[in-house]
Amino acid sequence: MVLQVNDLSNVVQATILPEEASLANADMFKEEMITLIAGGAKLIILSFENVNYIDSSFLGSLVVALKYAMPRKVDIYLVALKPDVKNLLTLIRMDKVFKIFKDYKQAMETIN
Amino acid sequence: MEESGKINIVFKCDREEIPVIVNLCLDHIRKKTHIMPVDLVTLAKLKWVITELLTNAVKHSGMDECTMTFEQDMEQLVLEKEDSGKPLMLFENNSSKVITWPLQDLSEPLEFQIYHNGMDSLKVRSTEPDKAVFFVEQLDDVEMPGLLIDTSEHFGLLILTKASNEFTYTYDPVLKKNRFRSTIYLKNTEYEA
Repeated sequence: MVLQVNDLSNVVQATILPEEASLANADMFKEEMITLIAGGAKLIILSFENVNYIDSSFLGSLVVALKYAMPRKVDIYLVALKPDVKNLLTLIRMDKVFKIFKDYKQAMETIN
Repeated sequence: MEESGKINIVFKCDREEIPVIVNLCLDHIRKKTHIMPVDLVTLAKLKWVITELLTNAVKHSGMDECTMTFEQDMEQLVLEKEDSGKPLMLFENNSSKVITWPLQDLSEPLEFQIYHNGMDSLKVRSTEPDKAVFFVEQLDDVEMPGLLIDTSEHFGLLILTKASNEFTYTYDPVLKKNRFRSTIYLKNTEYEA
């Protein structure tokens, strides 16, 4: 299991558990995200609070999940990114693709 | 293993071992550069580059092991991954034509886009049959949701190219070795006492 999930009706708070979001868990993460999207969530708020490092494989799974989500009117927000993770997303411009917030609270405020 | 200022680390191409080898590499670099500490931005780039080189080895080399080499001087840090696996093969983005190195017929310089992620067009250029130089060209700004449609799910070569000041591939036809080489310029130019 890669995600710890807290289902709040249409909003799912999902925390990535491993410290290294990498090739070793990218496929499982993708499957768990697709299950959440197919399960009826309207918004998935994905917390990176445990993640010290993310690699290209995991980023690829994240983009696949968003491509699966968008036509189904599901959005994915990213929260609690550590500087190294945020900087890598910025390097490859994924900060333009995903909505990024400081934490769950700030992300939830945008929908209230 | 260290020889004449170079550090060589053998990686068994096991994906579970990537974090261990990354930390081992960074520890070696920190020790090697203790009199001229590498700043945090450069360390982050080094970590991204090492991880992506190792991931590339696991995914694409088809071999049981590869060697990582580090070399540093006052100006730059050079990281090289060497393996005896399959030579570089890329799809030309526009035509889906497969290009394999070493290039058989290079009557004029070869240049094409590998993929693009929104505003970043990842390109490769070859002016020699055994060498490829990766670089990024900026495209016009695209907004969501069009940006997502334009975004590839492949980031390895893009990260390697953008995190490096120079990123190249070379095929050694005599030893039948592939070498991916990342050069990162060092900001600190003075040794500490």
